Order: sequence, then C-alpha cells, then structure tokens
Amino acid sequence: MAASLEIKDLAVVYQGVIQALSSLSLRVPEGGIVALLGANGAGKSTTLKAISGFLPLQDGRITRGTITIGGEDIGSLAPHVIVRRGIFHVREGRHVFGEMTVEENLIAATFAQRKSRPRKAAFDEVYGYFPILSERRAQRAGYLSGGEQQMLAIGRALVADPEMILLDEPSLGLAPLIVRDIFRIVARINREKKVSILLVEQNAVIALKYASYGYVIENGRTVLEGSAADLSANEDIRKFYLGVDH
Amino acid sequence: MNPMVMFAEYSAVGIAAGGIYALIALGTVVIFKSSQTFNFAMGEMMMLSAYFFYTAAVTFALGPILGMAAALLASVAMVLVIERLALRPMMGRPFIATVMVTFGIGSIIRGLVGMVWGPSDLQIPAILARSPVIVGGLFIPGKTARAFAIAVAIVGALIAFLRYSRAGIALRAAAADQITAYSMGIDVRRVVAFSWIIAAITGCISGVLMANVNSLTPSLGLVALNVLAVIILGGMNSIGGVLVAGLLIGWLEAVTGWMLGTEFREITPYVLALLILLIRPAGLFGSTEVERI
Repeated sequence: MAASLEIKDLAVVYQGVIQALSSLSLRVPEGGIVALLGANGAGKSTTLKAISGFLPLQDGRITRGTITIGGEDIGSLAPHVIVRRGIFHVREGRHVFGEMTVEENLIAATFAQRKSRPRKAAFDEVYGYFPILSERRAQRAGYLSGGEQQMLAIGRALVADPEMILLDEPSLGLAPLIVRDIFRIVARINREKKVSILLVEQNAVIALKYASYGYVIENGRTVLEGSAADLSANEDIRKFYLGVDH
Repeated sequence: MNPMVMFAEYSAVGIAAGGIYALIALGTVVIFKSSQTFNFAMGEMMMLSAYFFYTAAVTFALGPILGMAAALLASVAMVLVIERLALRPMMGRPFIATVMVTFGIGSIIRGLVGMVWGPSDLQIPAILARSPVIVGGLFIPGKTARAFAIAVAIVGALIAFLRYSRAGIALRAAAADQITAYSMGIDVRRVVAFSWIIAAITGCISGVLMANVNSLTPSLGLVALNVLAVIILGGMNSIGGVLVAGLLIGWLEAVTGWMLGTEFREITPYVLALLILLIRPAGLFGSTEVERI
C-alpha cells in the first residue's frame, strides 16, 4: 500500500523572518523513490519537516502552498497525527533513544502504527531486514555503531508499517560499504513493501543510483527536476553535486 | 546509651524519614524529565491533597480508605486542570517563565487553603499505626517506619512501571527527545499531562503520609523546600539519583540534628546542596543537558 505525495508552491518561514523555502514543488508517486538534492541550507530538511509537521516545534510556519497525501491536505496536522496517516520521518542524525535498548526503541515506534499489529510480527520483520539488530536487541541503542543506529532508525519506521518514509541523510558519517548496505536494504523495503521513499541526501551519486526521479533545490525553490538518469547526465549536476569536472 | 547504638538509631530514623523525600522528589523529577518544567508548587499540591483527604475522610465521613481514593481522584483532577490551563500554554516558553507560573500556582493554593480550611492544625484519621518497629535491635517510631515502607513500595512500583510499561517507554522517549518522540506517533502533550498525573498521585500519598507523621497545616508543603535540596543533590533528571539523595538527606538531617543540635538540622540539606552545586553542578547523578537546535 502506498500513497502519492504532492507539494505545491510551498513557502516556509522560521521565527517569522527567516525564509527557508520560497517556492517548492515536488511529487512522490506511489511506490517510488524520489531524491531531493541540493547544497547545505537549500531547504531539503525543511521540506521534510514541513511534510511531517515538525515546523511548529522549531518555530517554523508554512506561509503558502499545500502538502497533500492521497489528495488530503496535511499541512495543518500535528506530527503525531501525520505519522499515523502513514508518513514516517527518519530524522537526520538518526536520533535513536540512546538510553533505551534496541527493543525499547522499537516499542516506542509502535505508537506510530495506524492499526495495531502483533508486536512480534512487526519486530520480526525489522530483524529480518536488519539481523544485526536482533543480536543487539537487549543492548542500549547508544552503544550501537553509527550504521547500526541508522538501521535502528529505519527499523523504527518499519514497525509503523508506513506508506511513505522520509529519509533524511541516511549516509551521514557512515563508511561507504555500510552506506551501500543500508541503501540496498532501503531499496528492498521499497520494492517488497511498496513503501514510497522521499530521500534527502548529500551524497548525490548514491541517491541518484537508487532513486528513479530527482529534484534539485536551491535557496528554497525547485530549480531542476528529472529522471535519475537525466539528472546524472546533466552537466550542472555532474559539476556541482557529483564532483565530476568534465 | 552507647553512642554507636544511638548513631545507628538516628541513622535508621533519618533514612526512614528520607523515604518520603524521595517519593516527593520523584514526582518532581518525572515532570521535569517529560517537560523541562520545574514544579515549585509540588509542596502545595501535596498539602492540598492532604486537605482533600481530610475533607473526604472526616468532613464527609468516608473513612480512610474511601477518603484516600477520593483524595487521589481530586488530586488528579486538580493537576489536570492546572496542567491544561496554566502550563500547556507555556510550552516552548523560557524555562524561568514556566517556573514562575508554578510559583504562582503554589501561592494561590496556599492562600485558598488558608481561606477554606483555616490556619490551625487539623487532626487527620490515623492511617499509620503508632507502635514502634524494631529492626535489628533498633527502635524506629511506628509512623515513620510505616510511611517509609509505603514510600518504598510506591517508588518501586513507579520505577517498574516506567521501565517496563509501554506508557513508561513513551514517557522516557518524550523525555529524551521530544521531536523524535512526536515522529513515532507519541503525543508529547499527553505524555506531559500523564507525568503530572504521576506527580499528583505521589504528591497525594506523600502529603497524607506527612500529615500523619506530623500534622495537617497549610505549612505542610514547606517540606518541599528540603526536597529541592534532594533534587539538586540527586540531579534534576535522574530518578535513581533523587532516591539515593532523598535517603541521604533524611539521614544527614537526623544525624546532624542529634550531634550538633536541631538548629543545624534545618540548614543541613541546603549546605549540602550548595556544596554539590559548587563541585558537580548537574547533581550527583544528573547528566548535563545539551541544547540542540
């Protein structure tokens, strides 16, 4: 089960004065993986926070535009309500509950379930995708490696059985091989569970490898969009984001 | 009497008295963990709860058991109103502003209690037996010992609840990271209200116990000032820390009162808290808070 997300002409202001997004539009089709590329401060994370309803928690506000999922406007819903509509935000920096065990982290995520399902089935699915978490289930999450913490962060999303995962910088601070493993599992989740994925990533090479479509944002607006293949071939993208100098 | 035996006896009495400190401190710490709000009205809340108990048990002649149930219900209703009307609107405001709100609530409760029940001592039905308890040859006053046993049972139940229940996990998640807690569907506002309910229950029980050990007056809540020292000592965000600190301060009060005279007993907790703040500002077991944006 998946739903399509559509953002039209979105503008976001922080603290009443800081314009983070000025005109952002994008679409994530059912079951797709869409990459959101751009430099630091372009507004990628803000876009995800606008979707998941985090803006009011950080003194931010949507001043124009609409965010709809499956046709329903979610722009004014509270974050804990939005996640139960099936959109799970895996935050940048992983944010596992370090003092709690791996399993307790997963239990915390059960609050995001739209309809409750047996805990064992949900957790077994997580441990199926990430066997290492099963070995570590009684350990404190704070003692996991960075890669394992990222797996736990994605695992918490799986517990919720979402329609769409917003994935913010999953590669941050991780070794290339771990990043590759994580992306392969994310692609499997997308394929096997028909979960749409909106991916924010600094590492444009890997993002465009797994995404089918991409958007480039600069200064809070969409400046370029296209299929992953087209974007990978684009001269500007190659120069600015892929680090290929002709 | 042998000074060693005297020391042991005073220690036992002090530790027993510290159990209530720990119970009161626990309610305050749970609120602080869930919402970074320091509740200065804790003492007044427990004092008002003890008056609820008096009114239900004596005025309406419900007796101690029904009276306690009524007092618990009234206390929970009271904090839910306070949380919803006075504190929830303060969410996201500066720490000091919220603290001042709790100060104001404390003053209002003290004034109202004076108006409604008057300033004089009231006698509440004895729910604790008076006969002394003998532990390992040491005499401990009956009420103090039984109040300690009840406090320990409640504290143990509460810790087990926070550790193993799903609601306890939600509370710990919201305490650790509000935004991430929201991202997993946890309604942080409800968690905060829930932590106030926990504080209402611990406050009500400790208020009735205190009124039993001492007597019921509007100044019953002043004990919360000693508890402030307990919380500073244990660390504002450490449940285990305040338990140890509660017992420690109870013990220290009794022992200094015995060795140096009762006038020193009063200042002991504060001197200790001051020293701790100079050496370890986060408290013995507290962790330093890291501000994230």
